[in-house]
Amino acid sequence: MSRLLQLSVTDFKLIFREPSLRAFFILPFILFVVFLWFFPMLVDRYDFLQPYVPLILMVGVIENTQLFSFISSMVLIDEKESNVAVNYGIVPIGPNAFVFSRLILPYLITVALNLIFLAWQPFYDFPFGQELLLSVVVSLVVPVYVLALNALVDNRMKGMIYIKAFNMIVLVPLAAFFVPAAYRHLFGLLPTHWIFQGIQEMTEGQSGAMYLTIGLVYLALLLVVATKKFLAYHFR
Amino acid sequence: MINVDALTYTYPGNTEPTLKGLQFSIPRGSIFGFLGPSGAGKSTAQRILYKILPGFSGEVNVNGKPLADWGREYFAGIGVGFELPNHYLKLSGRENLDLFASMYEGVTIRDRDELFAMVDLQDAADKPVETYSKGMKMRLNFIRAIQHDPDILFFDEPTSGLDPINAGKINQHILDLRARGKTIFITTHNMNTADKLCDTVSFLADGEIKATDSPENLRKNYGKEAVRVTLESGESREFALPQLGFNEQFSDFLKQGTVRNIATLDASLDEVFIAVTGKSLQP
Repeated sequence: MSRLLQLSVTDFKLIFREPSLRAFFILPFILFVVFLWFFPMLVDRYDFLQPYVPLILMVGVIENTQLFSFISSMVLIDEKESNVAVNYGIVPIGPNAFVFSRLILPYLITVALNLIFLAWQPFYDFPFGQELLLSVVVSLVVPVYVLALNALVDNRMKGMIYIKAFNMIVLVPLAAFFVPAAYRHLFGLLPTHWIFQGIQEMTEGQSGAMYLTIGLVYLALLLVVATKKFLAYHFR
Repeated sequence: MINVDALTYTYPGNTEPTLKGLQFSIPRGSIFGFLGPSGAGKSTAQRILYKILPGFSGEVNVNGKPLADWGREYFAGIGVGFELPNHYLKLSGRENLDLFASMYEGVTIRDRDELFAMVDLQDAADKPVETYSKGMKMRLNFIRAIQHDPDILFFDEPTSGLDPINAGKINQHILDLRARGKTIFITTHNMNTADKLCDTVSFLADGEIKATDSPENLRKNYGKEAVRVTLESGESREFALPQLGFNEQFSDFLKQGTVRNIATLDASLDEVFIAVTGKSLQP
């Protein structure tokens, strides 16, 4: 356990000693100001925005996952680019334990950020169980994003290009709300679609559990695949 | 300790194998060297032995056990000094060592200050690695490889990027490790390193072992048992070493003028390598 803790601590040391990564910790505060104060103020003032409130909520929870999706990706890309990663291939710590220790804290912090976000948002009063399920599911975007990205890139330049693409991909399923209902599940190829559908149901007073469960299973499967690809690539 | 037989490896996407049926063994407490030019397959062979490159064919046994049967505990018994420095630049040297030391459980970690002092890094131990020179980072590579006191050590170009004084110190530390019973596998294209350190060297070219023997035997077998005497006048003659003291022609030649130079005609490992493989060690 101390080995795993040491890795997590090291990650945070690396993040706080790198000004370009450290600066990203301001992102949740900006998001909270925008989504918990600025948008509610706009919705209060302009009635025509009311139908878009569920979309605002969807973007909010997804953007909460982007903080660690970016930071953890950059830490691992840097590790790969500087060949430090190869050191982890020749130590007794198992590869799965390595992945777990690198991503468990970013995941848990993202769950916490989303719980705070959902509790503080002024639009809906969701039961805690629903908020917890949504946070647990949507935060899985972080490890899937980080591992998938790091199974594809080996330097910062490529990383930045893929990060831009990934940032768009997670939001693409919002388009499902602007197409005829018969076609909306075509966006189901992207896991965030099921999260957005779950949120939509929650805002309509339903549980959203079915869609969130589909999202959970889908993200868990992607996590397994991304972990395998990452492990086959990262240490060489 | 390490036995390799018919080791063949082809990188995914390649049609030609990088390693073609390598066979060698490394006894406990000895230094074995792969000598060859860049691209010969030296590092590939090492990467297979430290289990970072799966998918090879042939037999690799370490301590009597097939490599594939070893679990993660294998890594507690090996140490790797990579060819290029690979450290977290934002961490200090000490933090880098501490991090990787924490990966070993139930293993005694060598005294950190002693390790830094060994390679003259005691004053830099708490400074960020980004402030280190390449030579300092290489020395940090070296002590990271040995900090958990493994029985088997792999060094890929161990003196690369080091000035002659520090290269000499690292070579001496490697010899000291052998004296403590460690088994050491070195890859290098530096014949001086191989000559000074290795009990046995294999010449590797185009993925094949072309010759294996002690550096001394290789030099002897491919050189001449003779000396060349050169006089100040520029005149020069060769004399066979056996019975040289009784060779009257040799004595007479020495009396003909002032001797500028007397040199044995041993081949250098570089020359032996070219003779055996038809290739140069220099890239």
